[in-house]
Amino acid sequence: MTNIVLTVNGTQVLREVEDNIFLAYFLREQLGLTGTHVGCDTSQCGCCVVHVNGTSVKSCTMLAVQANSADVTTIEGLAKGDVLHPVQRAFKEHHGLQCGFCTPGMIMAAVDLINTYPKPLTAEIVRDEMEGNLCRCTGYHNIVKAILAAADEMRPVVTA
Amino acid sequence: MKISERAFRAVGKPLARNEDLRLITGKGRFTDDFNLPGQLWAAMVRSPYPHARIRNVDGRVALQLPKVLAVYSGADCEADGLKEINHNPVPSTKYDLKLTGKDGGAVFIGKHTLLPTDRARYVGEAVAMVVAETREAALTGAENVMVGYEELPFVVGTVEATQPGAPILWDSQTDNILVDSSFGDAAATATAFAKAAHIVSDVFHIGRVTGVPLEPRAALGDYNSETGRYTLYAGSGGAVRQKHELAHVLGVEPKDVRVLSFDVGGNFGTRNRAYVEFGLVMWAARKLGRPVKFRADRSECFLTDYQGRDLVTEVSLAIDESGKFLAMRASNLSNVGARCVSLSPLSKGSGLITGSYNIPLATLRSRAVFSNTMPTQAYRSSGRPEVTFAIERLIDKAATQLNMDRFEIRRRNLVAPSQMPYRNAVGSTYDSGEYEINMDKLLRLADWQGAAARREDAKRRGKLLGIGFANYVESSIGTPKERADLIVSPEGIEVVIGTQPAGQGHETSFAQVTADLLGVPFERVKIILGDTDVVSAGGGTHSGRSMRHASAVIALASDDLVSKAKLLAAQIFHVAEGDVEFDDGVFKITGTNITTDWFDLAKRLKELQLEDFPGGLWVRRDNEMHTPVFPNGACMCEIEIDPETGGIEITRYATVDDVGRCINPLIVHGQTHGGIAQGVGQALWETCYIDPESGQPQNGSFMDYGMPRFNNLPFFKTEISEVLSPTNPFGVKAGGEGGTTPAPAVIMSAVENALAPLGITGVEMPATPAKIWAAIQKADRSALAEYI
Ligand code: FES
Ligand code: FES
Repeated sequence: MTNIVLTVNGTQVLREVEDNIFLAYFLREQLGLTGTHVGCDTSQCGCCVVHVNGTSVKSCTMLAVQANSADVTTIEGLAKGDVLHPVQRAFKEHHGLQCGFCTPGMIMAAVDLINTYPKPLTAEIVRDEMEGNLCRCTGYHNIVKAILAAADEMRPVVTA
Repeated sequence: MKISERAFRAVGKPLARNEDLRLITGKGRFTDDFNLPGQLWAAMVRSPYPHARIRNVDGRVALQLPKVLAVYSGADCEADGLKEINHNPVPSTKYDLKLTGKDGGAVFIGKHTLLPTDRARYVGEAVAMVVAETREAALTGAENVMVGYEELPFVVGTVEATQPGAPILWDSQTDNILVDSSFGDAAATATAFAKAAHIVSDVFHIGRVTGVPLEPRAALGDYNSETGRYTLYAGSGGAVRQKHELAHVLGVEPKDVRVLSFDVGGNFGTRNRAYVEFGLVMWAARKLGRPVKFRADRSECFLTDYQGRDLVTEVSLAIDESGKFLAMRASNLSNVGARCVSLSPLSKGSGLITGSYNIPLATLRSRAVFSNTMPTQAYRSSGRPEVTFAIERLIDKAATQLNMDRFEIRRRNLVAPSQMPYRNAVGSTYDSGEYEINMDKLLRLADWQGAAARREDAKRRGKLLGIGFANYVESSIGTPKERADLIVSPEGIEVVIGTQPAGQGHETSFAQVTADLLGVPFERVKIILGDTDVVSAGGGTHSGRSMRHASAVIALASDDLVSKAKLLAAQIFHVAEGDVEFDDGVFKITGTNITTDWFDLAKRLKELQLEDFPGGLWVRRDNEMHTPVFPNGACMCEIEIDPETGGIEITRYATVDDVGRCINPLIVHGQTHGGIAQGVGQALWETCYIDPESGQPQNGSFMDYGMPRFNNLPFFKTEISEVLSPTNPFGVKAGGEGGTTPAPAVIMSAVENALAPLGITGVEMPATPAKIWAAIQKADRSALAEYI
């Protein structure tokens, strides 16, 4: 057991955790943040993506102790009160989700992509960059549209 | 009930979904999100052998481990009187083709006990359960349960399992064949074949795949010793069905089981039948006096989620000199796995073997066979992609053999709108549809005109362009009964209904229907699903049934509700019932200027407490609807193959789908997109391959099961065509499955078309780059050099 201190969605938490517990289960089972999902055991589906110090991470593959002193944002912490994040809004408007199980990981990964990709996003780039997230319901069509729409809103047009 | 389109304000609009807000903010309620105080964890001990006698289950070592509380075997289940899961696999509405056993008798299905006492019959079958304080302890315990197995000969192949001498799975049977039924006019078909100018034949194996809902299956069971009631949290395709089936397993009345199924992370048929773990966690909760939870790993899901397809079909078409189809013969063989949980795929497909075409005569032999594999179940468009594949691929072959244009041969044979309702040669009656118009619309949508130029362009880039095409017709039947409660309160209208969505948007589209029927704003309707203590009856969600059944029962209930509200208004305003008129949400008292609405009536009723209206302003309506509908459409795609690597890129994909009335186009298009991805997945990447030498499944994770991904799919062009069905009030057919139904056929048609210049035919699904590359290596390379 190890004591860890970290910030989760803006709140500081201090917990004693087992050394082998993954961040995903720590969030789900110890903090009750069940919006972060686990869809596989080989780090491939992306349902578990959260932000650790502003970068998207598959939380099923990171130990909770590795998140000691980190700043973690989960899907529950993305909206500002009642005001949805543009990516959340775009997913709703463009019907980028069906069953919604992949959705938290999709949204968290997409936010990071839009925030950090150095060039303007195209459908092709979105498809290549998001390849580590799986969705079984949507055929990805509307997710790509949603991400591009959110990117348009979030990023000022880059002029050469 | 007449539906007035005049009042459609919500129906037909692409409204964003009511369910989204909770799902995009992390507030969904999936099964594993629930935990109960004091809960224990269960883990399964699974058979490593495809077929083995179970000599004994020894839990002594496991029970010595810390935190392990119990080890249970099949013998324990039997001692406690647990019964088998009564899957009721034979489809039984009036319109389903009647499947029977070999001698025309009842179908032997093989008992599905929670844990077997005699043998393990497939790799992954649960043979014992360990319950412990934590999941880790339960898993460690499971590794330490010693099961005495005696290996038996096994068979996993679909055709192999039917052969004389194949190992037999069930002692009471003389072979593995559980269904053998024939349909159609054999003598007349034989005559037609005898005089045909051309006969085209082929054999196809539509391989085994699995649903892969992204939410792994999970279950949380509880037992209250004071009330004697069980509770189960488990995502499924219909909580009401699970309640009844599990009550039977536990030997209690259905009222003593409560099933909760809120957000379900994908289903696709996979979750329509009860899983053994559902019964086991409830039973263990009673035995141990604490709630018990189970959560499958992804690899357990690959191994033991109900799987799909696995049909071998032998088909022949008799054609006259002008290219008209005269008759068809088909023999379909479905691999149901170790026991039979559903014959829906075989049955659904059987009724549709003639596809979208006017083939006056047909005979069909439908068989099902046991094998040492995970049971199969309906999977995304159950049975229909298989038969669509057979007829459409056969027609492509016929076009080549007869040297006819593949569109022309189809046009010559399509069922015409004037023939509707059309009874096909095996007795299915297609309700409505404009098949050739679908084709024409599609050719425009997919820019067929520009295909030749695109082919030249691809060639210049060293690529082989292939164009795939398929028509399809499918049937939507499903459980015939549905119930709706409509409850009016001053705040809004609640609809309680027994369907079970897993992403299909019922909370939105049902609200659209209700809003327009009652003339209230869409925002004021709330759909209640998924808790069997609230939802008393209902048929669940499968076979594209939900929108049609829900809209029909809600329409009937709305009529009742209007009558009841008129009675109420008459009492409140002291007038005769006949003096109350209702139009588009407004009640008017004839000859006065008094008007009122639903919410005002509910409010007044609350204040007055009139005794004629116990429980307020509400109605319950049951409906039974057997008549099937036949969604249909056409589909086209273009692919480019890189002859150096065998890699395929899908460059264009378009569909036209007649879904009948479309309640919410945003949702229907979304369903189609997802359906396409699953159909394409089967054609190009997905397979549950079972090694015939060892009986071991080879695809146990996302590392070795090829999923449709962001970067291997294109955008899709999907167009909805609304030919209203005459069979139900709104004219609904069904949406979504139409994406899947033609997809394997259309992709394989494109693969063959691309490889035609090299003379390559018969590439099997999944058409992986390795297979294509190998075929190109074997082909005449000079043809390639000449072509490119
Ligand atoms: S749970 Fe699948 S990648 Fe993390
Ligand atoms: S919406 Fe169901 S898995 Fe993506």
